[in-house]
Amino acid sequence: MASDSQVTDSQDLSRLGGGSRDDRLRMRLVFSILSRCLSLLRPVSKHVIGLFAGFASLTLLLAPLVLIFIDTLWTRILQGKPMLEIEARFFGLPVELATTAAGFDPAMRSLLAERLIGWGAIGAAVCIPIFIALYYYQVWILQQVNQKLRVELLSHLQSLSLRFHADNTVGDAVYRLNQDSAMVTQLIQVLVLVPFTAIPQFLFSVLVMCLFAPTLGLILFGVLLPSLILGAWFSTRMRTRFRGARETNAALTGRIQETLAGIKIIKAYGAERVEQGAFDGASHSAFGAAFQARNLYAVYTMAMFWVFGTFILFLTALGTVEAMKQTELAATALGFTVWNLGLYNYFKGRLGSSTEALKDLFRTWGRLQDIAIGLDRVFEVMDRRPEVEDDPDAIPLESIHQEIRFADVSFQYQSDRPVLHNVNLTATIGTITAIVGPTGSGKSTLMALLLRLFNPTSGTIEIDGVDLGRFQTASLRERISIALQENVLFGDTVRENIRFAVPQATDPQVREAARVAGASDFIDELPDGYETLLGERGSKLSTGQRQRLSIARAVLKDTPILILDEPTAALDALTEQKVLRNLSQWGRGRAIFLITHRLSTIRQADRIAFLQGGKIIEVDSHDELMRRPDGAYRALVEAEQIASLAAGR
Amino acid sequence: MSSQNRMQESEFLTTRETLQVIRRALRYVEPFKARFSVKVGLMFASLIPMLMLPWPVKIIIDNVIEGRAIDDPIRPYPPLIAPLLNGLAGYSPYELLFIVITFQTTLFLLIGAFGASGSERETAEGNLASGYDTASRTENEANEGFSLTGGLLGLFDFRWTMRLTQSLNHHYRTRLFDRIQTLPMTAFDDERIGDAVYRVMYDTPAITNTCYRILLTPLTSPLHILLTVWILTSSYGGQPILIYSALAFLPLAFAGTLPLASAMRRSSGRSRQAGATATATAEEGMSNILAVQSLGGENRQRERYADDSWSAFSRYRAVFRLGIYAVVIAAIPGAFIVGYAFLHTIDLVIAEELSRGDFGLLVTYFFHILISAQALGGMWFGLQGSAAGLHRVFFLMDMPGEDDDPTHAELGPIQKGLEIDKVDYAYPDGTQALRGIQFQAQLGQMIAFVGPAGAGKTTLAYMIPRFVTPDRGQVRIDGRNLAELRLSSLRSQIAFVFQETVLFDATVEENIRIGRPGASDEEIREAATLAGAVEFIDALPQGYQTPLGRAGGKLSVGQKQRLSLARALVRDARILILDEPTSALDAETETRFVATLKQLSRNRIVVVIAHRLSTVRSADEILFIDEGEIKERGAHAALLKRRDGAYRRFVEMQSGLTR
Repeated sequence: MASDSQVTDSQDLSRLGGGSRDDRLRMRLVFSILSRCLSLLRPVSKHVIGLFAGFASLTLLLAPLVLIFIDTLWTRILQGKPMLEIEARFFGLPVELATTAAGFDPAMRSLLAERLIGWGAIGAAVCIPIFIALYYYQVWILQQVNQKLRVELLSHLQSLSLRFHADNTVGDAVYRLNQDSAMVTQLIQVLVLVPFTAIPQFLFSVLVMCLFAPTLGLILFGVLLPSLILGAWFSTRMRTRFRGARETNAALTGRIQETLAGIKIIKAYGAERVEQGAFDGASHSAFGAAFQARNLYAVYTMAMFWVFGTFILFLTALGTVEAMKQTELAATALGFTVWNLGLYNYFKGRLGSSTEALKDLFRTWGRLQDIAIGLDRVFEVMDRRPEVEDDPDAIPLESIHQEIRFADVSFQYQSDRPVLHNVNLTATIGTITAIVGPTGSGKSTLMALLLRLFNPTSGTIEIDGVDLGRFQTASLRERISIALQENVLFGDTVRENIRFAVPQATDPQVREAARVAGASDFIDELPDGYETLLGERGSKLSTGQRQRLSIARAVLKDTPILILDEPTAALDALTEQKVLRNLSQWGRGRAIFLITHRLSTIRQADRIAFLQGGKIIEVDSHDELMRRPDGAYRALVEAEQIASLAAGR
Repeated sequence: MSSQNRMQESEFLTTRETLQVIRRALRYVEPFKARFSVKVGLMFASLIPMLMLPWPVKIIIDNVIEGRAIDDPIRPYPPLIAPLLNGLAGYSPYELLFIVITFQTTLFLLIGAFGASGSERETAEGNLASGYDTASRTENEANEGFSLTGGLLGLFDFRWTMRLTQSLNHHYRTRLFDRIQTLPMTAFDDERIGDAVYRVMYDTPAITNTCYRILLTPLTSPLHILLTVWILTSSYGGQPILIYSALAFLPLAFAGTLPLASAMRRSSGRSRQAGATATATAEEGMSNILAVQSLGGENRQRERYADDSWSAFSRYRAVFRLGIYAVVIAAIPGAFIVGYAFLHTIDLVIAEELSRGDFGLLVTYFFHILISAQALGGMWFGLQGSAAGLHRVFFLMDMPGEDDDPTHAELGPIQKGLEIDKVDYAYPDGTQALRGIQFQAQLGQMIAFVGPAGAGKTTLAYMIPRFVTPDRGQVRIDGRNLAELRLSSLRSQIAFVFQETVLFDATVEENIRIGRPGASDEEIREAATLAGAVEFIDALPQGYQTPLGRAGGKLSVGQKQRLSLARALVRDARILILDEPTSALDAETETRFVATLKQLSRNRIVVVIAHRLSTVRSADEILFIDEGEIKERGAHAALLKRRDGAYRRFVEMQSGLTR
C-alpha cells in the first residue's frame, strides 16, 4: 500500500495540508519538475535532436553572416572605408578599385549596396522558410509530448478511486488536462532553446568585449549578481501567485460544469440567481488571481530591465567617452586598433545583444515559474497512487469455473464508518444470488469490492479459491459486467452506448443484447434506430428505457459474472417480467448478483442474502428463509405482500 | 466518428455574418466606454516619448563622437524636437553626453526605454506561456494587458488595460452564463456539458482581440503613421519614397490575407470545436467515473479522448499554417519593397545628403510606418479567428430561452388547484408525446400517474412547472394560464423531485437548503426526518455539515434519493411533484414515506409518478397513461373493479408475481 512519502488517492487535492503546499512552491521543485519533464521528451528525443541541430546550424550559419552584413553596411558602404581583398572578391567588385580609398567611390559603394541587399534578400529567402519549417516542426513535436501527457493524465485519473473523484471536481480535472498539461509544450523553449542561445550569447558578448575593453567586459558580467538576487526574490512570490491563478481558474471551470450538470434542480428550485452570484464570484476571484499573478510578472520583468538597463546605460556612456577620445587599444582586437565609430557601433551591438539575451533569459525564468506550477499540478495527480494497483506478478483472470467467495470481508470508506462487517457469502456459477436489505446497508459497496473498485479493509474475496488481489484488475473487470443503478449514458449513438465495454461487438451481437434486455422494441421505434444520438442525460429516453440500455450493455459483455444493481426499479411490471425471463434464460452457466427491493425480482434468485447494517444476517433460498419464523426476510416479504394484497383488494 | 457535437452551428460564416458577429460583440464594450477612452489616451500619450527615442542615439553618434555642432544639422530637426535640440547648442561634447545620458535615464524610468532598438527598451506585458492548442492560448487573451511602453507609464497602462480586458471578459461570460441558465431545462439533456464549458471558458475571450483590434488599431495606427510622416517631412523633406513604400504594406497585407480570411474562420471554428469535443469527452468520463471503472470502459475512454485530443491539436496546426501562409504571402513582395527602401536610403548617405546617424533614424521611422500600415491592412484577417469564437458564443446565446416576459402577472399563493386542459405535446423530433390530456387537481388531492415506461408521464409532469409548454391546450392554475404568468412566481410554489438525483458539491445541509434558502435548521431537520434521511445523516461524521463531494459520490443511491426528497419537502410548496421518488427505497422506508405524502397532501396538490403499487394506491385519483393518452382514471378501488381494465392488469401483474 501507500508508503509515507506517497500520497494516496483518497485525499483531496485542493485540501492538501499547508506543509505540503509550501513544499510545492519551493525553488527546488522547479528543477525537480524540469528534470522529470526531460523524461517526457525521451520518446521524441530523435526529433528534439533534429530540431536542435536545425536551429543550431541555422544560428551558427547566420551569426557570422549577420556580422559581415552589418560590418559591410556600416564600415564599407556608409563610411566608405575601402574593402579588404577577400570582401571585394566575394561581392564581385574589381579588387584594385574597391580596396583603395580613391577607387572605392560613391558609385562603387552604391553598387556594393545593391549586391549586399541582393545577398541579404537571398539569405532571407533561404533562411526564413527554414526557420518557419523548424518552428512548425517544433509545434508538431511538442503537441505530441502534450498529447502523451494528457492521455496519461486522463488514464491515471481514470485509475484513481471513486473516493478521489468524490473529492475533486470534474472542472479541476478538465483544467489540468487542458491548461496545466499544455505547459509541457514550452519545455524545449525553456530548457533548450532559450538557455542554449541566450547564455552563450551573453557570455560571448562579455568575452569579446574583454578583448578590447576588459574593464567594460567585467562590468557587463557583473550585471548578473543583482539580477540573480532580484530574480530569486521575485520567483517565490510569483510561484505563489501563479498557483493561485491556476487554482481559481480551475475552480471556476468546476463551477460551470457543476451548474450545467445540475441545471434541472437549479431551474426547478429557482436557484438561478444564487448560481449566477456564485459564478460571478468565482469569475471575479479567477480574474483577481490572474491579475495579481500577471501584474507581478510584469513588474518583475520591468524591474529586471531596470537593473541591467542601468548597467547598459552606464557602459554606453563609458564607451562613448572612449570613442570620443579615440583611445588606442592595448592590442589589436577584431581588426580594430583604436576606438573609432566602427568599434563603438560594434560595442553597442554587443551591449544590445547581451541585453537581448538577459531579457530573454529572465523573462523565460519568470514564465518558467508558471510552467512549473502548471506541470506540478499535473504531476500532483500522477503521483497519486491508485488505491487499487496490480501486483507486479499479477495474473490474468482467464475464466471462472466454480465460485466467488467473500470471506470475512470488512470495509470502511472512512476510519470511523464501517460499511461492511465480516461478510461471508459464496456464489457458485449457475446460480442467481439476490442481495436484499434496507437502503444504505452496503449492497452496492459489496459489489464494488467484487469489481475491485476498492480493496476490502480486511478479509478476502476469492474467485475459484484465488484471492482477487492476485489478478490483474483489468482482466477481472473484463469478466464481470454490471448494470448500474444510476443509468449512465454517454454522448454517443445507441449502438455505441450498448457496446461501451465491448467496442468490437458486431451489429447482430448488439441487437441480441438489446433483445435480451427488452430494449429492441423501443430502439427500433427511435427515429434513427441504433444510430440515434443520445445525450449524457438522454432526454429522448425515459428512465425505464435507459435502464434497459444499461442491461443490454451488461449483457453484451457476455461475462461469467453479471451484477444487476436495481435493474428493474424503473420498469413497469410487464416489462420487468419480460426482461427477467430473458435474463434468467441467458444467465445459465453464469453467476448473477441481483440487488433489488422488488419481491418479484428477488423471487428469481436461487439464494437470497439479507444485508443489514453491513452484516449478512440471513442467507438461504426463498423457501428456506420463509420458514424462519422471526426471519428478517420473511418480515420483509410479509410487509410487502400485505401492502400489495391490500392494494389488490 | 465517435465525437459528435450536438450543438452544431453552421461551420461556415459568411463575410456578412462575420461583420454582424463583430458588430454585436462591440456592444459589450458599451459599459466600459470611459475606461476604453482612457486606454486610448494612454496609447496616444505613449507615442510622444516613443518618437523621441531615436534621438539620443543620433546625437551621441553625430554630435558627441563625431563632434558635429548641434545647431548645424545636415537636416533640419523636426518641429517636435527642434526647440529641445537647439537649446543644446553650444555645449561641449562631454556636456552633451551628460545631458543625453540624463535624458535617457529619465525616459528609462518613465517609459522603460532609452533607445529605439529592441534591446534598449522593454514594454510592460504579462503574457504567460501557453500551449499549442486553441484552449490554452485563450488564457492570455482573457487577461490581455499591453502597453506601447514600459517603465512607470507602461506599468500603469498595462495594469489599466488588463483590468479593462478582464472586466470586459467578465461581463461577456457572465452574460453568457446568465443566458445559459434561462435556456429551457431540457436544452442540455442532449448536449455535452464539456462543450458548453468550453464556450464559457475558452470561446468568450475572443472578444478581447475583436474589441481591441477594432477600437484601437484604426485610431493608433493612422496617428502613429501621421506623426512619423510629419517628422520625416519636417526634417528629411518628406522622403516620399520611404513613406509610400512603407504605406504599401497596408494594401499588401490586406490583399495578401483577404483570400485566406474565410479559410481562417473555418479553421479556427473547427479547432475550437475539436477542443470542445475533447473537453466534453474528458468531462463525460470524469462525471461518470463509476460507470467507466465498473464497466471496464477505461480503454475505450482513453482511446476516444486520445483521438479527440489529437484532432484538437491537428486542427490547431491548421490554424497555425494559415497564419504562416498569411505572413509568407505578404512577405514576398514586402521583401522587395524593404530592399528598395534600404538601397534608396543608403544612396542618400553615400551622396552625403544624410548623415550616418540619420540612416538608423530613417530606417527606424520606415519600420514604424510599415508596422502600423501592416496592422491596418491585416486587421480583417486578424479578426477571423476571433469571429469563429464569437460565433460559437452567440450561437449559445441565441438558443431560444424560456419565454418569461417580465410584464407577465405574478401568480399569488395557490388557492384552488390545477387544471390541464386538452393538452397536446410533441417532442422536438416530431414524436407525439401527449395527446388530449385533460384533468384537474384541487388542493388536498394526491394524484398518481401510472403507466408503462415511455408513456409520457414525466413530460406531463414537466408541464406543471412549465418546464415544457404544451403545443395545444392550456395548463391553468387557479384558472390562470401558465403561459401568462411569471415563471419565478409559479416555480416558487412547486417542489419537483426528479427521477435522477442531483446533488451538489456542498454540505448535506446546503444541499437540502436549495429547496428554500431561508429555511431554519429545525425546518431542515424536520424535512430530513420526513424523508427518512435523518438516521443516516446523523451517522455521518460531521452530520449536516458533512461535505458530500462531487455528485454525492459518498452516498448510496437510496440515501441520495432521500436527500432530494428532503430538499423538496423543505420547500413547503403548494404543489409537490415526485417522479419515481421511491424506486431505490426499501419497503419500510417507502411505506413510511407514502404515509407522509398522504399527510402532506392535506393542504397541497401532490403529484406522484410511480410503478410501485404501494406508492400509487393511496392516491385520490390515478391516471393511467399509455402512449401519451389518459386511458383510465379514478381511485384505486374503483379502477380495480373494471374487468380488463388496463390499471387492473397492471396491478395484477405486480401482486400476481409476489404471490
